[in-house]
This record gives sequence, structure tokens and C-alpha cells, in this order.
Amino acid sequence: MKWAMVLGIVVIAVLITLYEWPKMNKNQKKERKAFAVLTMGSVVLAVLLVYFPDMPGPTQLVDSLFKPFGKLLEK
Amino acid sequence: MIEKGKISGLQMAILLYPTIVATAELVLPAITGEVAKQDMWLSPIWASFFGYLSVLIAYRLHSYYPKETLLQYSETIAGKIPGKLIGCGILFFLLHTNGMNLRDFGEFVNGNFLEQTPLTVTIASMAFVCALAVRGGLEVMARSSQIFVPVFILLFMFIVVLLIPALNPGNIAPVLGEGLTPSIKGALVPTQWFNELFLISFLLPYLGENENGLKWGMITTTLIMITLVITNLLALLLFGDITSSFTYPIMDAARYISVADFLQHVEAVEMAIWVTGMFIKISVFYYAAVIGLAQLLNLSDYRPIVFPIGLLLISISMWAAPNLQKLTHFSSTTWPFYALLFQMIIPILLLLAVITRKKFSKTQLS
Amino acid sequence: MKLLQNKGKQLLTITLCVIPIFLSGCWDRSEVNDLALIVGMGLDRTDEGDIELSAQIVNPKAMGGQGSSENSQSGGQPVTVKTGTGKTIFDARSKLQEKVSRRLFEGHNRIVVIGKALAERGIRQHIDFFARFPNPRLRANVFFADGKASEILKIMPNFEQDSAEVARELAELRIGMKVTTKDLLQQLASESGATALPRILVDKSDSGEELRVNGTAVFKHNQLIGQIDDALTRGLLWVTDEIETASVTLQPKDAKDYISFKLLRSSTELIPTIKNGKWKMTITITSEDDVVENETKLDMMDPKIIDKLQKQLNKRIRKRIKMVLDDVQEGMEADVFGFADAFHRKYPKQWKKAEDKWDETFPEIEVAIKSDVKIRRPGRSGGPQGVPQDKEATE
Repeated sequence: MKWAMVLGIVVIAVLITLYEWPKMNKNQKKERKAFAVLTMGSVVLAVLLVYFPDMPGPTQLVDSLFKPFGKLLEK
Repeated sequence: MIEKGKISGLQMAILLYPTIVATAELVLPAITGEVAKQDMWLSPIWASFFGYLSVLIAYRLHSYYPKETLLQYSETIAGKIPGKLIGCGILFFLLHTNGMNLRDFGEFVNGNFLEQTPLTVTIASMAFVCALAVRGGLEVMARSSQIFVPVFILLFMFIVVLLIPALNPGNIAPVLGEGLTPSIKGALVPTQWFNELFLISFLLPYLGENENGLKWGMITTTLIMITLVITNLLALLLFGDITSSFTYPIMDAARYISVADFLQHVEAVEMAIWVTGMFIKISVFYYAAVIGLAQLLNLSDYRPIVFPIGLLLISISMWAAPNLQKLTHFSSTTWPFYALLFQMIIPILLLLAVITRKKFSKTQLS
Repeated sequence: MKLLQNKGKQLLTITLCVIPIFLSGCWDRSEVNDLALIVGMGLDRTDEGDIELSAQIVNPKAMGGQGSSENSQSGGQPVTVKTGTGKTIFDARSKLQEKVSRRLFEGHNRIVVIGKALAERGIRQHIDFFARFPNPRLRANVFFADGKASEILKIMPNFEQDSAEVARELAELRIGMKVTTKDLLQQLASESGATALPRILVDKSDSGEELRVNGTAVFKHNQLIGQIDDALTRGLLWVTDEIETASVTLQPKDAKDYISFKLLRSSTELIPTIKNGKWKMTITITSEDDVVENETKLDMMDPKIIDKLQKQLNKRIRKRIKMVLDDVQEGMEADVFGFADAFHRKYPKQWKKAEDKWDETFPEIEVAIKSDVKIRRPGRSGGPQGVPQDKEATE
């Protein structure tokens, strides 16, 4: 099942790229770069999450930063 | 400017109203009821002060930099590098919180209706619809919420009216039985929902000329406060002490409706309310994140990054928490402080910096 | 450039065409003809200590049009009762599912009957399922069966389609208490620690078996501690302000015939007072009655006679309530009247202190009953019917 999910993610990313890429001007270099980095980043993150769904994420990061405060509201 | 659309004050209000009400409507009675008990209906009133304050701060900042959003003037105020850092923080907050919103939506729909459907599918379909709205631009979002919000309010009233026969006014007593403390404690989490009104700073620059942003901001906050008080009263008068033992009290309230053995099973209405509200809420957060990132990177157009960010949001929503318990725990313990930092403290610091700088330069001039 | 734009549009069209396939909700598609609609659920305890769940399921064959026709013997019953046993309700439900070809669906469940053997060991732990599992509704009426719950569900009534509907309608009429799952949850969580459930019985007669709501089962701290009969239940309903339909029949002093009254409306107020550390409860009842039958020769238009009758009615109501107080307050020491809530609401501070001692305080509370009955109208006739004018009895 996992490979199917990865495939799905890649297909979605490709569809997005096919849709957006031609819309950008040749001279919109920065946009293209941002687009490429974001899409790649998202795909990598998504694929990682398929294989390691429990890896520590933003919630844990925030939790560890704000722990002392969070304790106040815990019961 | 990156966004060419203009919205009216009413449209801004209509975008912001569901942004706060959508989440609150379902879980507020459970969260406030836990600590405030029968005084839970007072909590949104205390919490709304933060809403007013948030609008006021955003408006003051806006009056100094009328054409810029929060991320742009934070760079002007704090300097290039610190400004970018603040921007990154706010973006992180927006993306993470919106991921949680998406997850909330998915958990609710899957927990109550589509038990067998994979969570990713529910979330991805919502993200896709929101992406289309955001890609269409602010005007498209405003117009779609103009269609949805009246439906949202109408359906909500429908549920309130149908539940009136089942309510027991006695549940409200003793009012302030243990003083003000429980209701104020209950207001802690909702304050941060009200502080989500800081998103107004992403909308104010695109308000049409001659529109009174402050006035509409205040009207929105008041309407939200009234809606939330009604929500809590409804849950309290129906369920009394057991309100906080439900995950989604209003959902169970809607299922309790039975008028003349005939008008019953209306929980689909509640579902419709939640989905329309969440659609706007997620879109507004999404829009703020997209436009923020575009401004941070100095892009000329924000549209190309809408879909990639959508993909990112889906991942974050799955990443945010392993289960509903952890998600709820996080959003009712750590999240309020985390949100306070980005939604209130940073804007206040920025405002203070601007004011002192203006004063300083004035005294220098004279 | 234009070509590229066209291509984009084409892609969008294709995407839009593909997406609906994934959005059709195929995972949770549930058609009515794949569901077994449960309309009543019964909980019993087996001798081994397991839970036996009985479900009254709508018979799809008997549904729709031809169901009411000739061959009512073969599969023509509108509902069937199936049972399953397990450690928990859900466990029993999954055993039950093995016997049913369609997916069980509790969304239309109207009643929950709790059998005596199970109730004796507490009800709190079993009610959780009805508030947690997605399907059941909190509006289902809960009953106590002085015997096996499955017996109640198996009754095939003459009037309604199924016994669940009979039980629900009976609860709706307020002959006994009306307790929904929500109410039960609230009672269990309340400060009083006492719970009351309407008792449902099978009434055997020549014309067949019928259901009857009769009496109330009283629980304290999740334990069944007693049952009260119909008459006491009426008293309880007066106190909890739930009485809706009532007929009162009196024999006036110095008369050998009776007068019947019909209750129009009534409201009860519980007024707690704490004076010098002494807890006192005043029950104030105001009700309105109409005369509906007069066997005596008394003139129902005579204000003096009506005054006397009102006094007699008041006495009657007070006696009723006194009876139930004697039995439940002093006998069972269970606060099913909502006194705890009344005190908590009016005296939150004193309540906080006395909360833990409520079980000892409650039986000691002095109760005063004030009843104010108003006879509003004499009905369609004024004086007694069939009596010559000059022979009417007067003062």
C-alpha cells in the first residue's frame, strides 16, 4: 500500500507542476525556484511521512519550547 | 502590490467571522465547560477582549503602513534580518496552525460520519477546494464566503431554534457560584481563538477606499462573541454538568433534536455548518500563509506557490499529531501560549517599536 | 504562449474529470438496503457475568406496502429480536452482527431497556457506549425491566409496529418518568448520586401481552436500591415537575359518589432554605384542574363547594408527595427529587462545604409541601346532570 501512496503523491506533484509551470513567465526565475523548492520539499516530507508517520514534527518542537507554560493549563 | 483584488468591509467581516466561529462552535463548550462549569457562557465575553485588542493593534499598525501586510512591515520595523526571522516564525505558526485546522476538520468528519474513509482523503479534498479558492484570490474567497456565511448563520439558527424546547434554564444557576475565577480560566483557550483576528492584518491592506476597517473589525468581534455565548448557553442548558464529557457537544445537541417525532436526525445540518465554516477558516489561514511566503521571498505573484503549499499543509496536518487526544491536548495546553506569542506579543512589540521610533524622530526634529 | 495556456486548460479539465472518482465517498457508502435498523436495544446479564445484548431490528421484508398484507406468519413480523453475548456491549454487538446479514445501525434506536440482573450491578459502566459510539442518539428513552430486557423487546404489540415504539409513546405520555440517555447521563453525573428509571412491565391478559410503564426503579451510587409503584411514581412526578396528564378522583365529604378532575397544567418549584445550619426544602405546587365528571348532586357552579373541593385536592396532593418522601427520602435515602441541585444552585458556598456529607444530610432535610390547586371550570355542565333544579344539594 505504501508504494501506492508514494505514487499518488508523486502523481499529484507532477500534475501540479504540469499545471503551474507553463503559466510562469521565462523571466519569473525566482517564482520558478520557489515553486520547485516548495514542491520538492512537500513531496519529500509527504513520502517521509508515509514511511515514518511518527517522526517528531512541528508539534513536538513547539511543545518542547513552550512546555513550562503548557504545564499551567494541564490538569 | 501582489494582490490586486479589493474587498469591502462587510466582505472582510464575513471572511473573519467563520474563521473564529468554525472551530469554536464545535469544541468551545467542551473546553470551557471543563473549567468554567455552569459559568461557561461568560467565558467568550472575557475572551472577546483579546479579540478587540487584536483588531486594535492590527489597525494601529495598519494606519502606519496602510499598504503593507504584517510580514512586510515587520521587516520595515525590525530591520531586514530580524524582520525575516519574525516572518519565518509567523509563517511557521500559520502553516502549523492551519495544518491543525485541517486535521480538526478531518478528525471530525471521520469520527462522526465517514468512519472508513482514510483521513488523508478527507483532508486532501478539503485542501484542494481551499487551494482553488486561494488561487482565485482574495475577491474570490470573499465572494464565496458571501454565499456560505449566510447559509452558515441560517443553519446555526435553525439548530438553536429547534433545540429551544429541550433546554432547561435551571442549568445556568448558580451564576458566578464560585466567583469570577472559573469563567476567566475557561476563557484562556478561547482568547487565542479570538486572537486569530490578527489575521485581519493580512486583509486590511486590500480593503477598498473609504472602508472603515476598524469599525468592521469591531463589529466582527462582537458578532463572534455573541455567537459563542449562544453556543455555550445552548450546550449548557441542554447538557448541564455533562457538557464537557462530550467531544463535540454541539454535534450531540444537534442529534438530540426531535420535533414532533418527525423533524429529527438533523446532524447533517451540523456537518454542513462545520464544513462551510472550516472551508473559509482554512482558506483564510492558507491565504495568509501563501501571501506571507510570497512577500517574504519577494515573489511577483503568489499563485504559483498555492498548490505546493497545499501539499505541504496536507503533510503537516498528518504530521501534527498521532491522534485526536494528542491534538486536543496540544491545542488546549501548549497552543494558547504559542499562539499568544505570534498573534499578540509580536504585533504588540512591533507596534511599540513603531510608536517609540516615531516619538524619537519627532523629538529629534524639533 | 496561447498554446501553453490551452494545454493548461486541458489539464485542468482532465484533473477535474478524474477527481470526482475519488470524491464519491465510496468508503463510507451505506445504502439503506445494506443496513439493519435497530429500533430497540435491551441489556441483560447472563449467568456467567457477560452482557447479553438484544436488538430489535426492523424486518426489511415486512417494510413498505405489502408488509401489512395476508401472510403475517412467515416473515411478516415487522421486527425481529436477535441477541448476542459479550464482555462489553460492543463485544456483544459484534457477536450479534455475525447473525445478521446486514450492517447493524443504531441511528434509529428509540429505547434502551436495562434488565434487572444487569442493573443490580450498576448501570453507569454500560451507558458509556450510548454516548461514545457514533451511531446511537442521546434521545433514546431508557427503561428498567424488572426481569429480562429481551422479554420486553420480544413483545409484539397490537397497536404499534413494535414494542420499542410502544415504550417510547408511553414515556412520551408521562404515565411514568421519561428518561432519555442524556437525562440518565446527567443524573449519573449529578451531585445527588441518585438515579431513577421508569419501570416497564409485560402485562399478560386474555387479549395477549402488552407493555406497561408502571413504577420507577431507584438507584443510588449506581446501585439498584429499590422500586416504587405507580402511585408513588405519580408523587415523584409531582415533585420533579414532570406531571403532565393526571386524573384525580375525589369522594367529597358527606357524599357517597365521586367527582373526577382532569389536570390542565401544573408547575412545581423547589425552594431550598438554609437557616442556622438547618436545611429545609419547600415544595410549592400550583396546578389547575377542570371538573370532568360529577356523580354527586353537588352544584359545580357554587363557589363555596369549589373552595371545599380545592382544599380536599390540596390535601390529596400533599398526601401523595408525603408518601413518596417517606418511602424514598427516608426509606431509600436516595435523592431522586433534585434537591441537591436546588441547594447547589441557591447556596453554592454552603453546598461546597456540605457536598461530601450529602448522603447523611439528605434524609434529615425537613420538607414542607405547599399545594395550591385551582379548579378553573365546571366542564360542559354547571349543576349536576339529571337532577331537578330544586333538589340540587347546596351547602
